[in-house]
Amino acid sequence: MKKNKYALQRIKVVCLCFASVLLSCENLEENPTSFISPNNFYQTIGQGETALAASLSAIWNEWSNYGYSYGYQFFKHADDQMNYRDLIIPADKGDYLWRGHYTALLNINAVLKSIRENRMEGEQEEIDILVGQAKFLRAYNYFMLVRLFGGVPLYTDENEDPTSNPLARSSISEVYDLITSDLIEAQSKLPVQWPDKPGRITKYAASTLLAKVYITMATAPLNATENYANARDVALTIINAGDSPYGLQENVHDVFKKENKFGKEMIWSFQSNSEDVQTSANIWGPGEMGGWSDCISNAFFEESWPEQPRKEAYLLTELVLDDGSILPYQEWGAQSPACKKYMMPYITIEEWNSYVSYANFPILRYPEVLLIFAEAENMVNNGPTQAAVEAINQVIDRANGWEENPNYPRVTLAMSAEEFDDAVIRERNFELCFEFDRYFDLIRKRILDVVNPETIENFSEDDYLFPIPQLDLAENPLLTQNPGYPSP
Amino acid sequence: MKMNYFKILIALLLVFCFQPILGQQKTITGKVTDANNTPIPGVNVLLQGTNQGTQTDFDGEFTIVANSGDVLIFSYLGLSAENVTIGMDSTISLVMEEEAGLLDEVILVGYGSQKKSDITGSISSVKSADLLVLPTQRVDQSLQGRAAGVSVLNTDGAPGGNTRIRIRGMNSILGGNEALIVIDGVQGGKLENLNPDDIESIEILKDASATAIYGSKGANGVVLVSTKLGNTGKPIVTYSYNYGLQSITRELDLMNATEYTSTVNAAIATNNQNGPPNLPFTDAEIASFGEGTNWQDAIFETAPIQNHQFSVGGGTENVKYFFSTGFIDQDGILLNTNFKRINFRSNISANISKRIKVGLNLAMVESKGSVTPFGEDVTFLGNSILVAPRWGAHLPVYDENGNYTKHPVEGYGPQDTWNPVASALETSTENFSLDNLINGFVDIQIIDNLSFKATVGRNVVETNNRVYYNGLTMQGLPVNGKPGNGSIFDSRLEFWQNSNLLTYSNEFEKHRVEVTGAFEQQVQNTIFNNIEASQFTVDATALDDLAGADFIINTSGASKRVLKSYFGRLNYAFDDKYILTATIRADGSSVFGENNKWGYFPSTALAWRVSEENFLKESSWLSTLKLRASWGITGNQGIPPFTSLASVSSDPGRYNYPFDGGDGVNLGLAITGAANPDLKWETTEQLNFGVDLSFFNSRLNSTVDIYYKDTDDLLLNRILPGYTGLSSITDNVGSTENNGVEISISGDPFVGKFSWNTAFNVSWNNNSVVDLGGDERIQFGGSLGGYGVNSLTFLEAGESFGSWYGYEFLGIWSENERSQAAEFGQLPGDQKFKDVSGPDGIPDGRIDTSDIAVIGNALPDFIYGWNNAFKFNNIDLSFLFQGSHGNEVFNQGRIRMEAPGDGASSRLLDRWTPENQDTDIPAFIDARTRLDANLTNMVSLGSSQNATSRFVEDASYLRLKNIMLGFNFPDELTKKFKLNSLRTFISATNVFTITDYTGYDPEVSSFNGNDAQVGVDLGNYPIAKTISIGLQVSF
Repeated sequence: MKKNKYALQRIKVVCLCFASVLLSCENLEENPTSFISPNNFYQTIGQGETALAASLSAIWNEWSNYGYSYGYQFFKHADDQMNYRDLIIPADKGDYLWRGHYTALLNINAVLKSIRENRMEGEQEEIDILVGQAKFLRAYNYFMLVRLFGGVPLYTDENEDPTSNPLARSSISEVYDLITSDLIEAQSKLPVQWPDKPGRITKYAASTLLAKVYITMATAPLNATENYANARDVALTIINAGDSPYGLQENVHDVFKKENKFGKEMIWSFQSNSEDVQTSANIWGPGEMGGWSDCISNAFFEESWPEQPRKEAYLLTELVLDDGSILPYQEWGAQSPACKKYMMPYITIEEWNSYVSYANFPILRYPEVLLIFAEAENMVNNGPTQAAVEAINQVIDRANGWEENPNYPRVTLAMSAEEFDDAVIRERNFELCFEFDRYFDLIRKRILDVVNPETIENFSEDDYLFPIPQLDLAENPLLTQNPGYPSP
Repeated sequence: MKMNYFKILIALLLVFCFQPILGQQKTITGKVTDANNTPIPGVNVLLQGTNQGTQTDFDGEFTIVANSGDVLIFSYLGLSAENVTIGMDSTISLVMEEEAGLLDEVILVGYGSQKKSDITGSISSVKSADLLVLPTQRVDQSLQGRAAGVSVLNTDGAPGGNTRIRIRGMNSILGGNEALIVIDGVQGGKLENLNPDDIESIEILKDASATAIYGSKGANGVVLVSTKLGNTGKPIVTYSYNYGLQSITRELDLMNATEYTSTVNAAIATNNQNGPPNLPFTDAEIASFGEGTNWQDAIFETAPIQNHQFSVGGGTENVKYFFSTGFIDQDGILLNTNFKRINFRSNISANISKRIKVGLNLAMVESKGSVTPFGEDVTFLGNSILVAPRWGAHLPVYDENGNYTKHPVEGYGPQDTWNPVASALETSTENFSLDNLINGFVDIQIIDNLSFKATVGRNVVETNNRVYYNGLTMQGLPVNGKPGNGSIFDSRLEFWQNSNLLTYSNEFEKHRVEVTGAFEQQVQNTIFNNIEASQFTVDATALDDLAGADFIINTSGASKRVLKSYFGRLNYAFDDKYILTATIRADGSSVFGENNKWGYFPSTALAWRVSEENFLKESSWLSTLKLRASWGITGNQGIPPFTSLASVSSDPGRYNYPFDGGDGVNLGLAITGAANPDLKWETTEQLNFGVDLSFFNSRLNSTVDIYYKDTDDLLLNRILPGYTGLSSITDNVGSTENNGVEISISGDPFVGKFSWNTAFNVSWNNNSVVDLGGDERIQFGGSLGGYGVNSLTFLEAGESFGSWYGYEFLGIWSENERSQAAEFGQLPGDQKFKDVSGPDGIPDGRIDTSDIAVIGNALPDFIYGWNNAFKFNNIDLSFLFQGSHGNEVFNQGRIRMEAPGDGASSRLLDRWTPENQDTDIPAFIDARTRLDANLTNMVSLGSSQNATSRFVEDASYLRLKNIMLGFNFPDELTKKFKLNSLRTFISATNVFTITDYTGYDPEVSSFNGNDAQVGVDLGNYPIAKTISIGLQVSF
């Protein structure tokens, strides 16, 4: 009996222990299904493209970063086309732009990393096109960063993730090295055109950006003047390319029209439509027409602009009231003219009244290609050549409606190199107004204190760069601040 | 062994068969009393060896048929069981003694139970009878005011509404502060789903020595619940029914139609900068309006509530069972709100052999609530409770065509809001939940001192919440000609838990030892699916036919968490005087980062029963004096799953982009989280000192506890530098502190024919944020547009949890302060604010954002409860007072209700004028006067211009929470119907509240996403006062 009793007990205990062990089969590693881990993503072309879409959304959104950037005074403080200018630059001036660009870069680098590690599936040709788009975008982001802040930490697909890997700032030329190598590669991999996808990045968009990068490298602060030749060569390739779909709109009033959103003049833009709207156009207009006057221009700009059809197409200087009378801008509350490019007649009155806009914001336009060529050619030859003169005159003629305009004469070979250069910069000012370019032209030509005497008082050489964000400096001791700005 | 059983069986059979020969059946009667000669009703009288038995009645008397030589077993909880052999007499008188005093009462502790005298930790017990008092049959609401250190806040009064339970203050900022609920050993249940009638006992574990055994789930305290099993003896059947009427406790003081319209005119008349403006109302109209519509009456109504409870419990020596069902049907005081809940339970436990016991509990709860969304869940324009007190009384509910009145757009009043009656009636909601909890156990006595218990629990909760706003609501207005807007949310939660404990206990000489070792694992899976649909072709079919909707957004998700644990406990007592408890638990959780998967949580406690020492043992007046001290570390693993992993996710509004150009958008997926392999639990270290006293043979008891709690490694979203490309990462930084004192006193001043039991508790808790991981302040809560309160709640190192920041309102500038007011560019009649400082810290003559300072805090200084139970003959009376002192409420609703030309509060009639200067309502100063004064304005309050102390109110309150008067029918009547007892009662809940607060209810919180946001009143469902009658019968 006793033997039985103990045996039975033991068996019971053993059974139970066994059962307990069997039941313990879960482990503590997490394998989420409802979201994706970066390590097992970016495996198809489609997945890669979602990252690139997100990267653009990180810098272009209705009310953030470059959306409403003119309103947030990212450039208003210095751009002589804008009102409310003074060169007192607070320590958090560029925080949002810095963060937006690095968010974009984080996602772009993840795609490139996956391709480099051979985790991407697809035809080699498709993968190359994806690489081309990704590198274009990476180059664009770093191009904006280096112009705004100077040398910046260089995160690429070959770094560990930035959260655990703080880097010091690279030099300006190191950043430009990456930009140019990315664009050269992009240029070789992108298609000339995308059937059915007019918003995608093309071969000549990469070339245009590359030309722009070269001309910027040739000027301040890098002043690597050997790049004038590079800029000239790339621009010439675009101008002479037989397969390039790009050119000037004949009528300057057609440039910004809705139907030309992806027309021949628009090489690459920040894109918006009815499902992903742009900042309300009302930021550009005066109260008298139902706008908010956030990004009103200034009288100095208007007064320095001779009358021509382009002025009427790009700048709003008077309102026609309901009763037919004319109200010139001097009698508006803001007493300043307004940029017309993003308002009526280029958007519908319905958009205006609903406080939305479906328009794109152009970043690269064909006239710029001509002007880069002209500027570079002039600098390389230390004086204008026939080709340079012809290039800039195309823009001037189109601006004058293809007629002689004594107020706004064409450019001639008789000009000196300096005069010609001034003429190019002036042309860029009028043609590319309110497209971010003016601010960067003032920086690269070092004329911030020259163009509008009103702001000389607060000027210092330090104003050519934005401050590095305080939090980044605090968290990463390897980073150094730009001169003239506080450190935490 | 089998043979032994067989023999017994034969013997019993013989006994039964030959019973007539053995002895004659006769009727035995008797009376059971206690040591004070008081009759004890409800004593179980069981005929040994059978399942025949009875209970003593109200007079302690019983009747049973038995034979001489039979043994009657008398049992009653808390008293020593007695066996009485029937002799020649047919009457038995029995005196039953208490089981060696109340201190041998068995109390639930984590993973087991202990004698009360052996407890070293801080544990509060709540009597199961106290849970049955509220007509809403809510266990969580019933805890209010019953236990020291336990704060229960009814954040809203909706049927099926929410409570917020906090034990000893708030520890965590992001990790959640909910106490762990353990029901029959299974973790994670919901108190609000329990049928209070099912509960045998409920214990609240507060200090570390009691909660550390729950490891990384114990930091916020633990509520232990065990459900009933029947007793040996005749089955007891109970039924109760309760019917009540609920109504709103108070209404806000609003202007009538004449007052409102003339006040609106006065406000609009101030816009006279370009000459006299057009006034909306003529004098004739104003006079004709009279009283007008009482909008509060239009949306609130008296609503019935009723519930049924039925249970059967009984058992033999080897099998015990308990079955119950309960049903509650509650209409809400707000139109179109309702809550129904049905509970089923079946508990069985059986000794299948001498050493093996098994049990199985099944519980199912199904609830259906229909409550119009309010609070932070709904756009405030369509929130009836918020909007109703703002509509002018001159507006009728329905217009002349019988349609819902739309607010006229004439430059006054809340013209952007929707008809409050329409918002209430035309919204249909249904919140359905089905909760199944099963747990089973096997308990084996392996050898004499060693036992093994395995528990398996499974909980499955299915939720289906639907809300539909039809075309007559604001949210459902037609878009492109198609009305309606709704959502369907489905989720399923599956949880299972397996705990295995091995216990060794022994007594030798003066030592008593119990050692437990255990292994436990838990898995929780959640999936959800949410559909938002709008623009329906047919409004009537709405959510039942989603194909009819033009616009649908679909989201879904899934998550899982796993916990594996090893733990052990040592209980050691020497000479029954010196007691030591030590526990250690190791938790491995899937939500912790890769490098920190395992956490360790030790605790230790000592207790000294001073009253057992020789110098005190013989004391006649001191029954107990026990000193306790404990220390331990518990954790909070309130991190959502996958937080430590890097993630890529979608967010249509943020990441989608028209990459292709053209008319559509491309999907964007962005990296949204960085990996944090070091992520770990929040750690709470707690020190507790306690004293338990009782006097006069436990007629007077008192417990005092003092505690210190430090919580470190708080989970916070640390903002990342911009170059990382991410905005923040969840990391363990930051710490908080809670210190407090709890005192509870209870006693029986009177026993006998007239008895009085009273229990009082009061708790102080001091809570502060110590460190925010480098951030000075963290902002909480979004803002609701239109209130001018862009930022209100901040956590700041050194301040209490959830302080409000704003401008300090000093009153209204008076006539004889004209020149001081002018320095700020203000006129007499304008609001006066404190000039705290300028940029360099000294008052600068400007009121701007540098003058923002702490203006209030929602947390109370102390909370208290006082319960009394009287009994006299057949009548019983009980009442509970409950209160809170020092808490404040930010009455955000007043901002619009007291705004000129916008609000309907009667206080606007008391606005400042040179004749009426003693008020805090600013004057209506017309524009021309202001222009003529030609002052330079130095007051620029920014986007939070209404975050001022003017709207911070003292919400201390004392409430008569419940009062109940019952009548027990005398035995002569109950015996006639073969009943054990029959009781009827009348009770009232939330009878009256003493408070200075001017809103509906001082116990309110509209924003509950985080504990830091508590205490803002913006249109929450007010609690109701209820009067109910009922009866309870048992047989």
